[in-house]
Amino acid sequence: MKKQQLETLKKSLWVFHMNTGSCNGCDIEIVAALTPRYDIERFGMMLVGTPRHADVLLITGPLIKKMEDKVKRVYEQMPEPKVVMVIGNCGSTGGVFHESYSVAGPIDKVIPVDVYVPGCPPRPEAIIDGVAKAWLKLERLEGKK
Amino acid sequence: MKRLTPEEIVEYFNDKLKENIKDTKIERKTAGKKKNEFCTVWLKVDKSVFKDAVRELCGIDFPHFAVASGSDMGDYIELMYHFSVYYGERLKEISITISVDLPKTDLRIDSICDIIPGALISEREIQEMLGIKVEGIPDNRRIFLPEDFPEGVYPWRKDEKGPQNLVRDMYE
Amino acid sequence: MSEKTTYTLPIGPIHPALKEPVAFEFETEGERIINVDFHVGHVHRGIEWIGMHRNPVQILYIAERICGICNICHPIAFCRAVENAAGIEVPERADYIRVIMAELERIHSHILWAGVAAHEIGFDTVLHLSWAMREKVLDLIEYLTGNRITKAIMAVGGVRRDITENQYPTINSALNYYKENLDTIKSVFLDDKSIQMRAKNCGILTKEDALKLCAVGPTTRASGVKKDVRVDQAYCAYGDLNIDYMTPDLLTGEVNGDVYDRIVVRLLEVEQSIDLIEQCIDMLPAGDIMAEPKIPKLLAMLKKVEGDGIGRAEAPRGEVIHYVKLKAGDAPFTWKVRAPTYNNLLPWVPMLLGEEVADIPIVAASTDPCLSCTNRAIVIKGNKREVLDNEALHRMSVEKTRRLAL
Repeated sequence: MKKQQLETLKKSLWVFHMNTGSCNGCDIEIVAALTPRYDIERFGMMLVGTPRHADVLLITGPLIKKMEDKVKRVYEQMPEPKVVMVIGNCGSTGGVFHESYSVAGPIDKVIPVDVYVPGCPPRPEAIIDGVAKAWLKLERLEGKK
Repeated sequence: MKRLTPEEIVEYFNDKLKENIKDTKIERKTAGKKKNEFCTVWLKVDKSVFKDAVRELCGIDFPHFAVASGSDMGDYIELMYHFSVYYGERLKEISITISVDLPKTDLRIDSICDIIPGALISEREIQEMLGIKVEGIPDNRRIFLPEDFPEGVYPWRKDEKGPQNLVRDMYE
Repeated sequence: MSEKTTYTLPIGPIHPALKEPVAFEFETEGERIINVDFHVGHVHRGIEWIGMHRNPVQILYIAERICGICNICHPIAFCRAVENAAGIEVPERADYIRVIMAELERIHSHILWAGVAAHEIGFDTVLHLSWAMREKVLDLIEYLTGNRITKAIMAVGGVRRDITENQYPTINSALNYYKENLDTIKSVFLDDKSIQMRAKNCGILTKEDALKLCAVGPTTRASGVKKDVRVDQAYCAYGDLNIDYMTPDLLTGEVNGDVYDRIVVRLLEVEQSIDLIEQCIDMLPAGDIMAEPKIPKLLAMLKKVEGDGIGRAEAPRGEVIHYVKLKAGDAPFTWKVRAPTYNNLLPWVPMLLGEEVADIPIVAASTDPCLSCTNRAIVIKGNKREVLDNEALHRMSVEKTRRLAL
């Protein structure tokens, strides 16, 4: 990220994490991104416990049929402007669970997705890169307002 | 009761349950440099004596119940209950599997939850996945499938009651 | 008079797969719990059905992704099941490498759990400290296998990658790092007064209950039941190694079956794992690493096999069992997976009766639920449905610690 883009940062991003049936590989890499080795908290990003405070939604997992309504509800509860990030192969294209009676399809069938971070699981560096791209998009969206 | 060898276990069951034992098999495998042995005993019993077989097993040693699995073989369903006994001492454990054949016209089996309370989750699972009715089960609800999953569809079955209509391939 | 209110059990906010774990229903009277019920199934992906439609090598990929934290033990159990059904003999060197990988995974999983448990009690510093320490073992795993989480090192008949002699210095330096720093984590957990006040005599599981409900893993060993697949059964190379059951009386001299004992058992197991890896490296035999290195030949052979096989392994959370029925054909006829957390769900009921609501997070986390098999916990308490989310319940737990520390 170039220096001038960092200077236009107005507030730190609050992130809400949601698991729609993943194996938790991606989830522990997300939490590893918060710990001192990769330390995303130095940018001011933190995980919040409710979608009503969040700017970024991190979703992992292939969407299970049982979780479809919950994902839609969480998406509607988030205030604008918001960015949705799908972490891992399962949410992007189905991954290894592409053919089953219990999965409802990649996440973008249910809610619009802005950033995809592929990998099984993606490394914490890739997740930080994805959040940076989400950040830039959010800045753009906020600038348009 | 003193510790029995696998052959003595098979003999014990044959004595108690006589002609209701359909088939027995003892498997021995080795592992590692020292070629230590571990042993698995497979017993097939008639469904009328299934609960008695489990009681006899508790007489040998209170077993550890691992899981119950089921296969759809066409006209009947083969249910297998996997136990293990003699845990607690190094290299002495013996795995025992008791299997029962249930004809599809009469899919009922007794619950063993009064003898081994830990079997509840496995019994709820075979009820919803194979359509078997477990008689005397303390808790009749579904466990893994969602409540709105259609009735009469059983995911482990390979016949017309399987989940074929619900399968989606995300790559298409 | 009992009232019911709806709570959602945390294990979060920064706990992996906190959302959609087990759904509990609690009935409480004041602050004490008098009745517990739970719902699972929010992570049901139909894996056993998928297994009936893929060949054994493809199933290995799925077996790894059943759970992202314990993803060596599921492939080990599956490979053993197929090898037992088909009569494939695994070379000795492969057995030893499997043990090394499994013990590395155990170290990483227990340190991860230690951080999460500390977070539930309210010590976020310990969470960051332990997860920073965990990075060392992840570096070692990446050095040996190529990836941090999904290692893809198991194969039917052996392992895919070898450990060469020039890798030994890195392994030894990582193990020495842990030997030096383990005392820090131990003293943080075991000597701290607040943790002792929160964890002792809380969430007790008696030996009798643990036996009857067939609990597995550190949960049952902390109650004094000696059950450990590595010691009971000679799978892989464990029959050759010097190993024993880890029960809390080895450190504290008594067995209570409470949360404190479970912490003790897990920390003892980390030490044991380091010792086991060193034993393996000393005794590593020469030889092949795969029984059949050409995969097409292996698949062609497995197509013709008919038989049943059971594979058991000891995951960081307990016993994993896979059952495979092979009949002539591409895919196995039946594949049954049972992850350890399923057996540890029923013990939650006696553990939580009589405890306070603020203790729910630490008691549930003490059994180390493997998140991809668990679900959101909803405490239903009272006739009014008041949803307290993760933050609120986690806050209650942290506040209780602060109250006790004053």
